[in-house]
Amino acid sequence: MSKYELPKKFDYKDIDILKQFITETGKIIPARVTGVSASNQRKVTKSIKIARFLALLPYTDMHQ
Amino acid sequence: MKKYEAVIVLNPNLSSKVDSFKKDFEKLLKDNSFNIVKTEDIGRRQLAYSIANHNKGHYILFNLEGDPSKLLEIETKIKYNESIIRHLFLVVKEHNGEDSSLFVESKNKKPEASEVEKDKEDVKKDPEPVKEDVEDKSEAKQEEGEDNE
Repeated sequence: MSKYELPKKFDYKDIDILKQFITETGKIIPARVTGVSASNQRKVTKSIKIARFLALLPYTDMHQ
Repeated sequence: MKKYEAVIVLNPNLSSKVDSFKKDFEKLLKDNSFNIVKTEDIGRRQLAYSIANHNKGHYILFNLEGDPSKLLEIETKIKYNESIIRHLFLVVKEHNGEDSSLFVESKNKKPEASEVEKDKEDVKKDPEPVKEDVEDKSEAKQEEGEDNE
């Protein structure tokens, strides 16, 4: 059982879901910590990176 | 014919001119034989980091259908449009007919935003700054008097 809320389809616009998978400093949490399947982790990672480009999520907490 | 999802982040200072920008952009798309399936005006949002010294951006989302070869022409035009601070075209297999979570969120938040603006106006109306000015002048006069002595 995972404690994370997983959607049927990952989307870069679902920020609240993606926020579960980044740390306070903005890093992507590794799958070995979250326990998400490899397939899902790839989708999460991809969505987070798109969301970062569009300034929906931070790359780091050190942004000026 | 491919299906695209386009996100465009506009300069927040031009928020009032969004409608005219939308018309221009839709015309540009139609000139390049692009089909607009859906548009979502998400509105002003806080950026996670500043882009070109902007802390906020006006997000617009388009669902499009069109020719990949024509997309290049559109992108070159977007590149030299200074009102666009960021843009992204994504190829998608299927268009999701539902509203995106961002759009739903912006709908719920809009009433709060107007309240914040009202608060700002109230602050401007405060008479305190005027009083300070008066005090400053009186102090300046006193100083002048001391100099004369």
